[in-house]
Amino acid sequence: MEHTYQYAWIIPFLPFPVTISIGLGLLLVPTATKNLRRIWAFFSVLLLSIAMVFSADLAIQQINGSFIYQYSWSWTINNTFSLEFGYLIDPLTSIMLILITTVGIMVLIYSDNYMSHDQGYLRFFAYMSFFNTSMLGLVTSSNLIQIYIFWELVGMCSYLLIGFWFTRPTAANACQKAFVTNRVGDFGLLLGILGLYWITGSFEFRDLFEILKNLIHNNEVNSLFAALCASLLFVGAVAKSAQFPLHVWLPDAMEGPTPISALIHAATMVAAGIFLVARLLPLFTVIPYIMNFISLIGIITVLLGATLALAQRDIKRSLAYSTMSQLGYIMLAPGIGSYRAALFHLITHAYSKALLFLGSGSIIHSMEPIVGYSPEKSQNMILMGGLRRYVPITKTTFFLGTLSLCGMPPLACFWSKDEILNDTWLYSPIFAIIAWSTAGLTAFYMFRVYLLTFDGHLQVHFQNFSSTKNSSFYSISIWGKEVPKPLNVNLFLSTMNTNEKMSFFSKNTYQIDRNGKNRIRYFSTQFGNKYTSMYPHESDNTMLFPMLVLVLFTLFIGFIGIPFDQGVIDLDILSKWLTPSINLLHSNSGDSFDWYEFVTNAIYSVTISFLGIFLAYIFYGSVYSSFQNLDLINSFVRIDSKRILSDRIINGIYNWSYNRGYIDVFYGKVLSNTIRGLAELIHFFDRRVIDGITNGVGVVSFFVGEGIKSVGGGRISSYIFLYAFSVSICLIIYYFFRF
Amino acid sequence: MSYFPWLTIIVVFPISAGLSIFFLPHRGNKVVRWYTICICLLELLLMTYVFCYHFQLNDPLIQLDEDYEWINIFDFHWRPGIDGLSIGPILLTGFITTLATLAAWPVTRDSRLFHFLMLAMYSGQIGLFSSRDLLLFFLMWELELIPVYLLLSMWGGKKRLYSATKFILYTAGGSVFLLMGVPGMGLYGSNEPTLNFETSANQSYPVSLEILFYFGFLIAYAVKLPIIPLHTWLPDTHGEAHYSTCMLLAGILLKMGAYGLVRINMELLPHAHSIFSPWLVLAGTLQIIYAASTSLGQVNLKKRIAYSSVSHMGFTIIGIGSITDTGLNGAILQLLSHGFLGAALFFLAGTSCDRIRLIYLDEMGGISIPMPKIFTMFSSFSMASLALPGMSGFVAEAVVFFGIITSQKFLFLPKILITFVMAIGMILTPIYLLSMLRQIFYGYKLFNMTNSYFMDSGPRELFVSICIFLPVIGIGIYPDFVLSLSVDKVEAILSNYFYR
Repeated sequence: MEHTYQYAWIIPFLPFPVTISIGLGLLLVPTATKNLRRIWAFFSVLLLSIAMVFSADLAIQQINGSFIYQYSWSWTINNTFSLEFGYLIDPLTSIMLILITTVGIMVLIYSDNYMSHDQGYLRFFAYMSFFNTSMLGLVTSSNLIQIYIFWELVGMCSYLLIGFWFTRPTAANACQKAFVTNRVGDFGLLLGILGLYWITGSFEFRDLFEILKNLIHNNEVNSLFAALCASLLFVGAVAKSAQFPLHVWLPDAMEGPTPISALIHAATMVAAGIFLVARLLPLFTVIPYIMNFISLIGIITVLLGATLALAQRDIKRSLAYSTMSQLGYIMLAPGIGSYRAALFHLITHAYSKALLFLGSGSIIHSMEPIVGYSPEKSQNMILMGGLRRYVPITKTTFFLGTLSLCGMPPLACFWSKDEILNDTWLYSPIFAIIAWSTAGLTAFYMFRVYLLTFDGHLQVHFQNFSSTKNSSFYSISIWGKEVPKPLNVNLFLSTMNTNEKMSFFSKNTYQIDRNGKNRIRYFSTQFGNKYTSMYPHESDNTMLFPMLVLVLFTLFIGFIGIPFDQGVIDLDILSKWLTPSINLLHSNSGDSFDWYEFVTNAIYSVTISFLGIFLAYIFYGSVYSSFQNLDLINSFVRIDSKRILSDRIINGIYNWSYNRGYIDVFYGKVLSNTIRGLAELIHFFDRRVIDGITNGVGVVSFFVGEGIKSVGGGRISSYIFLYAFSVSICLIIYYFFRF
Repeated sequence: MSYFPWLTIIVVFPISAGLSIFFLPHRGNKVVRWYTICICLLELLLMTYVFCYHFQLNDPLIQLDEDYEWINIFDFHWRPGIDGLSIGPILLTGFITTLATLAAWPVTRDSRLFHFLMLAMYSGQIGLFSSRDLLLFFLMWELELIPVYLLLSMWGGKKRLYSATKFILYTAGGSVFLLMGVPGMGLYGSNEPTLNFETSANQSYPVSLEILFYFGFLIAYAVKLPIIPLHTWLPDTHGEAHYSTCMLLAGILLKMGAYGLVRINMELLPHAHSIFSPWLVLAGTLQIIYAASTSLGQVNLKKRIAYSSVSHMGFTIIGIGSITDTGLNGAILQLLSHGFLGAALFFLAGTSCDRIRLIYLDEMGGISIPMPKIFTMFSSFSMASLALPGMSGFVAEAVVFFGIITSQKFLFLPKILITFVMAIGMILTPIYLLSMLRQIFYGYKLFNMTNSYFMDSGPRELFVSICIFLPVIGIGIYPDFVLSLSVDKVEAILSNYFYR
């Protein structure tokens, strides 16, 4: 069907009307717009579903008879340079389209309920639709300038959505940090684009690849410069995909609402960097050293993200670091030349991680009425625990997502991660060992999250916030082995009061301040309906539905990448999908699939994952002691007092991880302070020197004027005095020089 | 119809209509306001009509030109005429001035004089952009200063006299060089003075003399534009002036310098320009970084925006210095784009400062809840100002980037360095703009004042900001809309450089 291709340009613009109409409505007729709440959500879901249908159609056509379609319009008419707008439909695009629209729809449905009590409900949907527009535009764009444009727009959406709750100072800082860090990447991207334009004189992908290949083949271009441009382009991908030096924004970006974290900071936007690398892979393969650089960055990120995820307390932060680590895997894969594995893991990871984030959102939602609405508390895993009793469906979905991410066999991520690990063995043993052991770390931290959240007992009632804030190591023993005192219950209740803003209630209870149990009774009898909120609740169906759908994806999406027919050379769906792109890269991709090799490799990776899970159970599981959570040092000290060295190591790892590897601190100290100092210095220079000269001239001219005024006062005697004085001075000088 | 003096009418109409403000009956400010708005609108409509029906876009020559002898002794003619270069700034002037008068509604003190001065500025600016005679150019240049000085010194903030004096001294100091240059150019090579642009464009001077002229003119424009060491009047002026004046200052006045640079220095003195252009590019590059970092150190909201406009003008200078088609087009685009953005930012900053009665950023905070509309508009314009794609700033800066990349004049390494440093400015811009936004709007703060001051922007203010926003988006999405005005003229100017 030619028609689908012809009208494919509509896809990015489908969600756009929602943004415009909500924006205009909120500016011009706020009340009427706000009354229509749910209708807007319905429309945005509807439009995005249309986009999904479109892209599904495209994808099916790509799988069957795949050909690449490109169309472009000219944007500026100028004699010397011309910019073009267009769209390009190829396998990569169609995969990304499917991914974005499906996850997008799920997240939109989910956030209808998640944000339903928020004042910025409509604003949220406007931003989301705009994000969908720009993300879809990014993946369908046909030249570098267009990619840059949508790249920035996506970054802006991310900025707006991270700062969605702008009254929180942390969110305000986080969104600025995210934007500026991404801008550093954009800086690289823009310079890279300009450099490539300089070399080749084109923005169009295919022209670019052709010309550059010829130029390098004929040695007509300075290869150092070409490598510089390519690595600058890669900087853009590094920032967007939260790779090592520029990853600092991603954990902070968790200040945004959870659906955002699922959609933007786990599934789609962070995949944009990978998308760019995949798109420009023909270019990167031509230029020497770049591939090694990419894989190096990837492997550093894999390890760093995994270690930083080890000791996070915030559930979303820990998921964010896990995202970073997994993105490292995905970045590693194209670096070592396995294009297919990268995209495969991109897809499977996107669904699994979206599922995990939506699950964490559901957990946060159920915790919020109990512990209060600050992210310090509602996302704090230390306060959770034992939730499996209260939120069973969420627990099941979250468990499946965790297993998938750990790489357990039937689930999605297993297939893709295994493929990456296999390819890494072929590339370099050192990288492979790092990647392989990180799979164990992944299993460890993911199960840590799972166990802390769902296993054991609900910790809220035993918590004293002020003490847990400082350091978990020393405060844990306080709430470790003791039966909760009434005092703690008091504390819990009082926090509850302040959070719920039931001031009349707290006034009443102050009169019977002594007995906490009394209070509970009072509480439970008088406010019987409120009593239920002492325990977490399962979320509404609207929130559970998307999670269940994503569970289906997590279960079955792995099958697109595995061949069904053994023995016969029958390519799996993904390979079929990607045929033209792979053919572009290496001509002989039709090698048969070896089940024996696959199984042996799979056994290794599953073993290390099991090891990680086992360790996590030892540390955090509720099997031995329900209060041993996080009680690392204490338990170790009790078991064996000689193991101080290992204690120190573990302590060091925990500190490293908890302080985010000291990288944020370093950036804060060095970069921010340098820039601030520079600004102060230049400001000082501007005020004192440049402006000072001006003002100095003014002041001097004033004094000169005053002096002349007083000199020219019109008194004859003073003139005569001046005259006589100067004459005498001259005479004296003359006299002295004479002799 | 072609001999109908359209341009003269356009130039003279605002000031002559403004004079009659003083004869209006004393019925309060309302009459004066409406009268001025009507005049501005009428003028804008007149301009649009004339440009639609009596102006051919694809003709790089001067159109709608008139020529009347004024002072015979030194061959001084009233010689207006427009071409593709000047039509953009003229339309910008009409647009911004109309909106500025609308923005100036809260001004009640001496509103007759205020509005008269606005109208006088209107005439002066259009006269400058449409003059085809060196002396007329100079005259209009000077005419512009007086209303600004009065507007500053009478309706400004606390330090208004200081900044007004600084402004007038700086610009008058710059004008001295202009004054020296004008007769010098006019009298050279012939016995009777030739002040016409066309005749002097074809004249060639000895190189040293040309450099001398160029330098003199450059100083005059460098004050207006501003180029770094001569910029300190700008933050003071913008910090003190009423926001409607600021709109005119940032939106139009700064553009006069760049316009003059293209109109006189590039067109009439091509040799010297190709000698000076590396230095211009260098100055522009430094200026982007310098002003951006200075802006980061400012705590005064208006001064921060003022420095940001200094930084943005750096792109214009680079575009002019790059001597390429693309670069010059980008410079003109940046001129217009910054005209809109600067005006809008000053307007919004002024209105929000007036509401919360604070001017220092570290005292502000958390006003997004009471004023969501201002918050929305402020963020949109900040985004536009930090060159977000889809808005005008991005297109202009990107085109300037391409201009400098494709420039034949520079060697490989300097080009890389210049591009690199310009791109660093791209990182610094969001830092200061977003931290400004964060400090004003984000966070939470309880105010001691009663809530009655905290009205969100009303329909008038909303109208003003939306009106500015539309062209910003328009240029961003379809830049040809503006580029098509100037492309042919730019080509004609640059053809000089490749012949010689």
